[in-house]
Amino acid sequence: MKNIVLVSASPKINEKSVSKELLVMAGSHIISDLFSKVFIDVRKSILTKNLAKDFETLAKADVLIFSFPLYYFCMPGILTRFLADYHNYFNSRENAKKHVKVYAMVNCGFPEPEINLEAVRVIKSFSQHINAEFRFGILIGGGSMMIEAKEAPFMKKPILKLKSAFSSIAADIQHEDSTTMDSIYIGVDFPLYRRIYHYMGGRGWITLARKNGLKKKDLYKKPYCLKTHPRITL
Amino acid sequence: MRALLISDQEYQTKTYQGLNDLIREFLNQKGFEVELMESSADNLTFCMGCFGCWIKKPGECVINDGIAQINRSVMNSDVVIYLNPIIFGHFSPNIKNIIDRGLPNMLPFFITRPDGSTMHPPRYDSYPAQIIIGYGDEITDEDKQLFMDITKRHRRNIEVLIYPNPTETIIKALNRMELGRVGGLL
Repeated sequence: MKNIVLVSASPKINEKSVSKELLVMAGSHIISDLFSKVFIDVRKSILTKNLAKDFETLAKADVLIFSFPLYYFCMPGILTRFLADYHNYFNSRENAKKHVKVYAMVNCGFPEPEINLEAVRVIKSFSQHINAEFRFGILIGGGSMMIEAKEAPFMKKPILKLKSAFSSIAADIQHEDSTTMDSIYIGVDFPLYRRIYHYMGGRGWITLARKNGLKKKDLYKKPYCLKTHPRITL
Repeated sequence: MRALLISDQEYQTKTYQGLNDLIREFLNQKGFEVELMESSADNLTFCMGCFGCWIKKPGECVINDGIAQINRSVMNSDVVIYLNPIIFGHFSPNIKNIIDRGLPNMLPFFITRPDGSTMHPPRYDSYPAQIIIGYGDEITDEDKQLFMDITKRHRRNIEVLIYPNPTETIIKALNRMELGRVGGLL
């Protein structure tokens, strides 16, 4: 039986994680009597100091699936730490496992899935550093919409594409050959979508700030504007 | 003119020392007053994605550690140079924590850039010139290219250099850059 390790790396504490939910959805496409599935939550692993045990689990994996949110156009610091430390652990081990397959699922709050490409490439580089085979990535734009609005009629197409992408991972895991696979891009787009998305996003921030006793103008505070700099327009 | 150097305590290799010496000498020759901030896992934690810096305490991170001092120094410098060890073609964990936690310096909301991509708007009217210098030993060409792309494909006013490279190449590249504050086109 092959070991599949599904790693979610949202840094959020006590909040619903889109990355985790997407990972669970992906995991549900993998037939459980053919594979053993283990979930690792990077945030929990670090907070509960469970790294040694989780690194051992990773080292025994035949398949690694990472799911994480995009932070500043790449992977979040918390996952960068986890992977760098795992790499050190991996190098200190003998008898490293061969033929490990790696997949990346990256979601972002922006509508465009292609923004996630560099984060996927980092997982590819990490795979090369642990002598594993990077297979492909799933790049997801408007990530929270895939969970919060999944039942909405306008989400039918992207949700179908998402499920098909998860099925592609499930099928690829079972293949012994290594035919090159392209990464899969899933965004949410329809006429006026971007404008509505931007507008609703802006309204959302103002509503959340008001719940904390702030006014709209407070969102624009400039606490570190201590000295006057001449403005240069590019 | 103030320059802020941000480095990673965890990867202070011989290559780092060479780079640090080179950059300090360059900045001193240009007449900059240089401040060095060293990040480590002990003085800086991860961004936890709470958005408190937008909706609770706008412009400031709600986690009480070294980031407030770093963000204040960044916003009050003319140039900021990140000396970053390249790990998997990416930032090191400590430097990525600083970058992630620079979010308070941006506004929530969305804007569309000229290339059609989405971005958060700038909070301030002007920002320091920013240069990221990736360093390491035996970095593959693929990882070097990835390191450049992570920033250059998404940020319009941040420069990226790779070290080691011949000293003259680095100095020439630095001399071509505008080492002063720029408008908020991020």
